[in-house]
Amino acid sequence: MTPADNITRSKRRNRPKSIASGYLLILPALLLVVLIIVYPAALSVIQTLTTKLDGSTTGFTLEQYTAFFNDPFSVTNLLYTLRVTFMVVGLLFLICFPIALYLRFSHGRLASFIHILALFPLFVPGIVLAFAMIRFTITHGLLATLLSKFGIDQYTSPYLTTTGSIIGLVWEGIPFTTLILSAAMVQIDDSLLESASDVGANIWQVFWHIMLPLIKNAVVIIFALEFLGVIGSYTIPYLLGPAEPEMMGVFMERTYSQVHSPLQAQTQAVITFVIAAIAGYLYVRTVASQQKGEE
Amino acid sequence: MTTTAALPDSQTRPLQSRFRGLLNWLRRDAIGTVIATTLILFIIGPMVSVVLWAFAVKWQYPSLVPTEFGFKWWSETFRRADIIAAIPQSIGITVIATLLSALVSLPAAYAFARIRFPGRQVFLLSFLATNAFPRFGLYITIAVIFFRLNLIGTASGVIVIQVVNTLLLMIWIPTAAFRSVDRSLEEAAFDVGASRLRVFVQITLPLVFPAIAAAILLSGVNIFYEAQASLIIGLPNVRTVPVLMYSLTNNQLVVQYGAILMFVTWVPSMLLLIFAQRFLRGRYFAAGFGV
Repeated sequence: MTPADNITRSKRRNRPKSIASGYLLILPALLLVVLIIVYPAALSVIQTLTTKLDGSTTGFTLEQYTAFFNDPFSVTNLLYTLRVTFMVVGLLFLICFPIALYLRFSHGRLASFIHILALFPLFVPGIVLAFAMIRFTITHGLLATLLSKFGIDQYTSPYLTTTGSIIGLVWEGIPFTTLILSAAMVQIDDSLLESASDVGANIWQVFWHIMLPLIKNAVVIIFALEFLGVIGSYTIPYLLGPAEPEMMGVFMERTYSQVHSPLQAQTQAVITFVIAAIAGYLYVRTVASQQKGEE
Repeated sequence: MTTTAALPDSQTRPLQSRFRGLLNWLRRDAIGTVIATTLILFIIGPMVSVVLWAFAVKWQYPSLVPTEFGFKWWSETFRRADIIAAIPQSIGITVIATLLSALVSLPAAYAFARIRFPGRQVFLLSFLATNAFPRFGLYITIAVIFFRLNLIGTASGVIVIQVVNTLLLMIWIPTAAFRSVDRSLEEAAFDVGASRLRVFVQITLPLVFPAIAAAILLSGVNIFYEAQASLIIGLPNVRTVPVLMYSLTNNQLVVQYGAILMFVTWVPSMLLLIFAQRFLRGRYFAAGFGV
């Protein structure tokens, strides 16, 4: 770029008027984020920290939170949510790593067919998935019928059990996990892997020491977004999971709409915010560093 | 002597190597075959049961397919008052929310891609907020405020939340598209005396149009099928199609109502999404997730 180019470019871009128009153009969208996301979340934090159990307001109190953590039912739901979340995220990596590795090293019809299959759930809304899963896995459903044709008659349906909601949540997570993992793996150069195996590294060493460090960002983003997705889920655990214990989303909805206790629901929401804050931070930080790389 | 000795050899060797080749191919693609079979069963299986149920008049265990096929339940389904009311309401909310989202987001995307202003990067990242919170927790905190503003049970309440939900997608995909436009094309048009507006309409817009159209399509389908926010903000007065599906999924004696409604609304949305995805190769597609 010549200096003259630089001058015309900076003239066109950096005039104060165009800076002002930049802010003006993003203002409506930014206002929506502040008013509909930041403000309600912040208000919930403040209200739950300033309202006593009897409903009176004070400067600062932890009563809402001690009440939550002294209630065995609530604590069970929270621990249950965490357990399901980690299991779903773990299963997703366990299922999608082999698929992504296969897609990285195979080309041809079968590979593109698998690619399409893995992306398919992206085109299925959660509520349709829940309905489909119920019809598929219910006692005397399609799966049970299919198994009985092969002589397997002892089928217990996962519907309304923890397994049921885990199956649904994994189903929903497969396309995103596969997509991001295989996109990251495609960027790894073949020659890098070949030279590593030339100096005597075995397949596992190549995977662990060469591939994994190179796709670290993708793994962090998947972990963070799937963690946030599962901990903030409602439809799948509500329709496929057990009545007790409940995932936090289901618990909050019931507290809000049926128990009519918005403040308790807000407390539950803020607790999930705090727990998921690490995942949210990891997500934003990783995307920010990627964006900086592209500038 | 040599010819007779060579004969069985030349017959066995290609056979052996062919056999080895097949074995290798099977061994290598055994993995692929296992993955494909598992995915077909796990991913396609459930959807097959929805489609079969939509066209079933009767389906008794242990038949693998419906005992009686037909459209008997279709007329019943579209005679239900709740379904008749929900479909136009859902379409109306989807159209309005998608247009509003585009109206708010596209100028912002243009600014993020083209205007250098301080804090640009931070503001762009702030739209990740919709993804960085556990979503249902967020809806609860929003519902508390909307309740006070009398927005619970109103279409406007649902529309506002759907617009916010699609901001990330509607800003990040077009931002990536605007950034990828070759500036020298625009500069050349400026040089021959074209006005700003003319350059935008005739040069920039055609180049970014596919990505923007895809973003609008994706947002529209997302909004139409969003169930969780609509459930907590829309009820009791606003009952969109996906919210209705909750009750058609739970405690419903007639399976066909849900299956037919889902089949009718899901198949077009899937075709639209596949159509949109063709425009969104690689980076754009990931941008929709905020990656």
